[in-house]
Amino acid sequence: MEIIKKTSGSIAILQLKGRFDAHEVAPVAAWMQTQVDAGLAQVLIDLEGVNFIDSTALSSLVRGLKHCREKGGELRLCNLQQPVRVIFELTRLDKAFSIYADQATALAAFQNIE
Amino acid sequence: MPYENYEKWKTIPQVQTPHLSIVIPAYNEQERIVATIGAIASHVSDLGFAWELLIADDGSKDATVKTVEELGLANLKVLKTPKNGGKGSAVQRGMLAAQGDYILFADADNSTPIEEVSKLLAKLENDGFDVAVGSRAAEGAEEGKKSLLRRILSGGLRMIVKYGLRIGVKDTQCGFKMYTRDVAKKLHSKQTIMGFSFDLEILFLASKFGYKVAEVPVAWVDAPGSKVDTRKEVQRFLRDLWKIQVNNLSGVYRQEAA
Repeated sequence: MEIIKKTSGSIAILQLKGRFDAHEVAPVAAWMQTQVDAGLAQVLIDLEGVNFIDSTALSSLVRGLKHCREKGGELRLCNLQQPVRVIFELTRLDKAFSIYADQATALAAFQNIE
Repeated sequence: MPYENYEKWKTIPQVQTPHLSIVIPAYNEQERIVATIGAIASHVSDLGFAWELLIADDGSKDATVKTVEELGLANLKVLKTPKNGGKGSAVQRGMLAAQGDYILFADADNSTPIEEVSKLLAKLENDGFDVAVGSRAAEGAEEGKKSLLRRILSGGLRMIVKYGLRIGVKDTQCGFKMYTRDVAKKLHSKQTIMGFSFDLEILFLASKFGYKVAEVPVAWVDAPGSKVDTRKEVQRFLRDLWKIQVNNLSGVYRQEAA
């Protein structure tokens, strides 16, 4: 899986490409932890290039969401491809996360809160 | 990729014979199965034909059955059994219950991505094959995250299968195989091996009965959480290989006259 790290102001952005499964969770979880520890609890994960996400990867996102909220921030998701969208719906995690159509809309949602 | 196709499949029970049935054997898969169902439902609903999904539970002790039933998907059936009979028995029940013109069995961890299904389907629909076997050994296959031990074992077992049973298929164990309906019913009704190496028996029978078998290169990822105990399974594999030879010599696989 390809991982691209970016920032936009105080928002940390992670773009993922490929299959997001238990093999790939460690670097993503470590990056989220580093951001939160550094006080960057506004996190956006862009899943545009992801066509499959397994239960371990979903759990890591839930943990990331919890950590961000504990620090007063938020973890948002954007660009879900249809298979990933369906997986979020079936696991009912679409209700737990704020999900946006694209990066621009997600970034605007962060600005509205700040 | 219109979401509406998935939504329709999810909510409206189909009345026509499915073009494709997908059978997923499941034992204690409450954690992994929903993501796999989601990936399959999203992709296959867009292929433009009627299809059904069968989860063949193998007496799971966890909440696999409840988890799947609660999804409430209109064209998904759960085949239940109180007793754990082995992966082969779950696949057999699925294959015998499936109604599609073509029947695929796929593993519960989506280790061969469902996007590969069209390659197998094309072999049966267009090229006149009776069986299409997803293969990690055929030229052009992509194998990701496979441990060294599993690579060595696979190589060794492939040699035994080739020379012991004279099965031409290089990768007998990949959990991604498709059959025409009649062939699936004929092969799986003769199946006697219910464990891990049931595939070997099915491919032996396909060869014995003269069916055309295509080996199709597919992508494959060694999904974490595999339930295969490698040492035990190798022993069982060798024992089953012997059982196939004995069955064959004693007439167990004899076909009834038409």
